[in-house]
Amino acid sequence: MIRVVIVDDELPARELLREFLAADDDCEIVAECANGFEAVKAVAQHDPDLLLLDIQMPKLDGFEVLELLDRSPIVVFVTAHDEHALRAFEVHALDYLLKPLSSERFSAVMSRVKRLAGQHDRQPVSGLATSLRAKPLQRIVVRGEDGAIQVVPVSRLDYIEAADDAIRITTAGIKLRKQQPISEIAAQLDPGRFVRIHRAYVVNIERIEKIELYAKDSRVAILRDGTRLPVSRSGYQRLKELL
Amino acid sequence: MTTTRTALSRGALALYAVAAVAAAATGSSAFFLWARGISTGLAIAAALPPSLLLGFIALASRFLCNALPLRSASRASIAIAHAGSAAAASGLWVLLWKSWVPALNRQFAATVAPDYSLLFGLGVVLYLAAVAVHYLVLEIEALREAEDEVLRYRVLAREAELRAFKAQVDPHFLFNSLNAIASMCGSRPLEAREMAQRLADFFRLILRLGALERITLAEEIDLVQRYLAIEQVRFGERLTTHVNVDEGAARCMVPPLLLQPLVENAVRHGVASMVEGGTIDITATLEDHMLRILIDNPADPDRADARGEGIGIENARGRLSAVSDGRAMLQAREAEGQFRVVIELPR
Repeated sequence: MIRVVIVDDELPARELLREFLAADDDCEIVAECANGFEAVKAVAQHDPDLLLLDIQMPKLDGFEVLELLDRSPIVVFVTAHDEHALRAFEVHALDYLLKPLSSERFSAVMSRVKRLAGQHDRQPVSGLATSLRAKPLQRIVVRGEDGAIQVVPVSRLDYIEAADDAIRITTAGIKLRKQQPISEIAAQLDPGRFVRIHRAYVVNIERIEKIELYAKDSRVAILRDGTRLPVSRSGYQRLKELL
Repeated sequence: MTTTRTALSRGALALYAVAAVAAAATGSSAFFLWARGISTGLAIAAALPPSLLLGFIALASRFLCNALPLRSASRASIAIAHAGSAAAASGLWVLLWKSWVPALNRQFAATVAPDYSLLFGLGVVLYLAAVAVHYLVLEIEALREAEDEVLRYRVLAREAELRAFKAQVDPHFLFNSLNAIASMCGSRPLEAREMAQRLADFFRLILRLGALERITLAEEIDLVQRYLAIEQVRFGERLTTHVNVDEGAARCMVPPLLLQPLVENAVRHGVASMVEGGTIDITATLEDHMLRILIDNPADPDRADARGEGIGIENARGRLSAVSDGRAMLQAREAEGQFRVVIELPR
């Protein structure tokens, strides 16, 4: 039995998927979600085999939902937008269905899902779609210890520090932890607004008050709120190039 | 392509000009000689060499014409320059006659004795005729270029119009609506049929209104409401709309499809960005000859694609200022999760 979670913010779109799946005796819908938050919760709760996922949704888009999953089921995107197909490929989605949905195409995908369901290991989707992202990251999604999801627009980001293989994001004095290497997030951010001033620090340049010489060849960045962050020699070079 | 054509015709025209002036000079000066009792053959033989020279001098006058365009140079400078050069050219031609005639007489033992003052006058007249032809050719060329220019602008304007029209309606709106129709076909076929009908009516109306210069605000609001009725099917309870247009405002003329893209923004980037949805408020009032339109909608300040709507607003602002000679105003502002567009258009 294939256990399916449907995610789409439009009721008629969910109804169509429901109708297609109802014709298939080997499938069972375990949850229907109207937004990304519900989707993350439903996947954690039901651990389904298949996620039918819309992309354009309020709060979290389809890709951000995947980013927040600890165990990712087989993913099939269902969307009216054809421009995300390349990124979908990079997050190892099984397929990418365009609206309006064709029933033939849908049943072809379902037979592939059935073949693969047994072998699919539910890895988290890591290194998520970094290289194919057309524009720089605009917001960061984080899931806290308690499962609560935070969406942080990059404009509200003060700085990011590395903490082992994770990062700590500081936004208005609050620190949020996220499981992601600092090099990966640094590559996704707008290079005109965020600079890696040190191996372990990426800073929002709008937050920098001044740079002070601390010792010979050693500098420190002082932020508007008084925070002091170390600046490495190559980090100082990068800063100088930008300013 | 055009430059080659012009260059070719210019070369050909120059040759024609040389030939024409030379032929005219030969003909008329030979006639004067013949009138003085010289045989036709000898008269032509005598007139040909100086006339050819005059032909080439007359050709050179086109450089002067290029340097002194009729449209920009002063009348006086044109008159003085051409009078001077006409005298010089004709002087040269008379000089050639004077050195050529004695040699001719010796060769053929003839007594050719032209009236040099008459020849000078002839030279001036022919030279000035050549100048007139050059100016004519220049004018024709300028006219043709101006026509090309007009054509080019017309093509550009047409392209801009097409682009603007395409930008009016988001194609994903169509795809999503078709998907909704597909979904209703099974369980609610009557509603599916109605939705298909609404979609067709909406697009027909877009095409019809889009072709007009101005429409009443009432017509525009009708279009917007049809659009919202279709979106209502997709968004269900998440979308509520309030439309409030006073009577005077409804009769005002506005450019077609002015509000439609703005309302589309309000749905796509506004209500669609909210988990719980929200209300789109459209208000239009006419006070003291000022049409004032407000579009209010909630919007998630953290939405990812905050930039896309800027283009729609820029487009609307551009069209508005084009139809009002810059007297209209369009403002967009966002505060505390509410997005508001204000349009003020003097009547």
